[in-house]
Amino acid sequence: MAQNTATQQQEHAEGLAARESELRHAAGARGSILGSMKAKRIIGGIPVRIFVIVILAIWTLPTMGLLVSSFRTQTAIQQSGWWVGLFNFTNFEQWTLANYDRVLTADGMAGAFFNSILITLPATVIPITMAAFAAYAVSWMKFPGRQFLFVMIVGLLIVPLQMALIPVLRVYTANNISGTFVGMWLAHTGFGLPLATYIMYGYISGIPKSILESAYADGATPWMLFTRLILPLSVPAIASFAIFQFLWVWNDLLVALVFFGTRRPIVTTRLAELVGSRGQSWHVLTSGAFVTMIVPLIIFFSMQRYFVRGMMAGSVKG
Amino acid sequence: MKNVAKLFLAVMVLLAFTAPVVFGGGAAEPTVEATNPTGNPWTDGQDLSGTEVNIFGAFVDEDASRFRTAMAPFIEETGINVVYEGSGDFESLITVRTEGGDPPDIAAFPQPGLMRDLHSQGYILNVLDWFDMSFLEQQYNPGWIADSMVDDEVAGVWYRASVKSLVWYPPRVFAAQGYEIPETWDELLALSDQMVADGFTPWSIAIESAGATGWVATDWLEDIMLRIHPPEVYDDWVAGDLGFDSPEFREALDIMLEIWFNDDYVLGGTSSILTVPFGDGPAPLVTDPPQALMHRQASFITGFMPDGTDIGPDGDVNFFYLPPIDPAMGSPVLTAGDIMSPMRDRPEIRAVLRYLAHGESTRGWLEQGGFVAPHEDASLDWYPGLDRGYAEILLNADVVRFDASDLMPGVVGAGSFWTGMVDIVSGEDIDSVLAEIDESFPR
Repeated sequence: MAQNTATQQQEHAEGLAARESELRHAAGARGSILGSMKAKRIIGGIPVRIFVIVILAIWTLPTMGLLVSSFRTQTAIQQSGWWVGLFNFTNFEQWTLANYDRVLTADGMAGAFFNSILITLPATVIPITMAAFAAYAVSWMKFPGRQFLFVMIVGLLIVPLQMALIPVLRVYTANNISGTFVGMWLAHTGFGLPLATYIMYGYISGIPKSILESAYADGATPWMLFTRLILPLSVPAIASFAIFQFLWVWNDLLVALVFFGTRRPIVTTRLAELVGSRGQSWHVLTSGAFVTMIVPLIIFFSMQRYFVRGMMAGSVKG
Repeated sequence: MKNVAKLFLAVMVLLAFTAPVVFGGGAAEPTVEATNPTGNPWTDGQDLSGTEVNIFGAFVDEDASRFRTAMAPFIEETGINVVYEGSGDFESLITVRTEGGDPPDIAAFPQPGLMRDLHSQGYILNVLDWFDMSFLEQQYNPGWIADSMVDDEVAGVWYRASVKSLVWYPPRVFAAQGYEIPETWDELLALSDQMVADGFTPWSIAIESAGATGWVATDWLEDIMLRIHPPEVYDDWVAGDLGFDSPEFREALDIMLEIWFNDDYVLGGTSSILTVPFGDGPAPLVTDPPQALMHRQASFITGFMPDGTDIGPDGDVNFFYLPPIDPAMGSPVLTAGDIMSPMRDRPEIRAVLRYLAHGESTRGWLEQGGFVAPHEDASLDWYPGLDRGYAEILLNADVVRFDASDLMPGVVGAGSFWTGMVDIVSGEDIDSVLAEIDESFPR
């Protein structure tokens, strides 16, 4: 009995094994079909992949070097390239956090961050608001000289801001707003407005006419049209321009030096100072670059969704 | 969503009004209550407390905070608030701000060339309208006053000097090898040969400086010009009356190239001179074993030395005075410096400028190091160890002359002279390069 049971069990086990192998075989066949399709795709994709990887490598290599250098001592940076440091990773003498310490604990760095934010946020919000109004008016309101006005605005895109520095500064000096936050907001608004209007125009003028007409037929005033329809519909365009403008103002050194001065530090001017009167501390630029990058990175990743959508803002329209 | 936006705006507006108060940051603006604002030598007995004078200059960060320290006693004595603002882009900004109608009260020019440009446009006031020449003569060596003059006017008072005629070397290696500090140019060359014979590389020469590459070479040439010709020849050369394609200048060039074009003398050979950043110049002296043993550069180069470099007679590096060539010319010193030029006229600005013309105004900076005062009444006792050495060199000088390339018109001094030197080092025909520089000189 006991033996019988054992044989039965054995048979059962064999049967199981056979079925299992059958199954496995089938799965293998299916797998191989799938596999070959996949292989084809992979082989077909290889040139593209290699291309993408090469581009990525070229693109990130300088940043990578900067990152590695930012953790190396001044002596190490002066004596050898960052790749040498990477190959001799175990040489711990060269690694240091001193560069970050220097930047983060520099006098007035916290204040500089705060001042930068204080300049950047209004200098982003104000031009977008104005540009949205202007784009709405130019694209949907009928008034004489509309075309001419729009051409003027687009034409202003060509004027380099450097040309405007001295004349604008004269106006500022006469009105006592040079070196103030208000002056910075106005300057960045002015320099950002043409592009903002142009981008917003591309998007807002592309909103289907029928939507606006039906809302108008229901008794909506132009103001209601703008706040209830146009603004919500153009969020992607607003977001994408907001990112552009934010990055531009955040990274700006020139406008800040001319109109704001260095009495009150902002991130870019403070960082430029850290390098020293004769550029002797240029090694702190490595860590400084990464420290200042933090805020734009946060902005970028938190608004990335809009950024991709917004890039196409108005692009379909001829 | 709407509420968020409203809240956001409200916060922004609130911040905008409070932040300037809270986060004045960097340039703290102390409001000083002077105990007796008239009992000081600066304000002519006037009570000027509560007024403000702003100074704009090129020194930043550590240097700026040292300058503020130096101004503190004045602020305390007079109640005049001196606000210093510095920027690495001083050269471009001072022009933009001046033409934009927003000049500072006093500008601290790192080069007299730029000061002259602005003076010719009428933006700089004449110091002689405020102070007598006899006062200036008592405060400064005649060479300094001459360099501050534009036509018949004095366009500023010198505040900071830097000594350029220095050679850096590792004293321990010198002691171990039994090398003597050379007293003459011939000894310098003999020492170089000796080093080569001992298996060392004598010179580290590095001149790469981005858009300004070439200035190191001009410094070498100026030092040599002062050592082989009387100062009058140097002045003529600066003024453009003596060309670059003259026997006098060619003689200096030959002396320099004798070192530069000798592959045994120069670390990495002549070809590396152009590619190594000037800031990396002193680094080979402090490696173990040293890669090179001498480096000619101004006093500021200490800021570029690797962290922890011990500077001094018993340290990792020290300096000696670049030796004379022709004994008849004595011991000349090549200098550079910052000049304080008044751009507006108010009683408190005059008081500040009077202070800046006295050695006392430099004391706060002197004691912290990295500074040489051009003032006659700055005491040697104020200097910390190393800086006293520079000051002594300056004091013992028979001839003091300012960096010629800073005095020449910008197109030459910060243009063709630099690029010409780069061309020569990279092996271009000397005759045509010198002719080109001469052609570019506006006459």
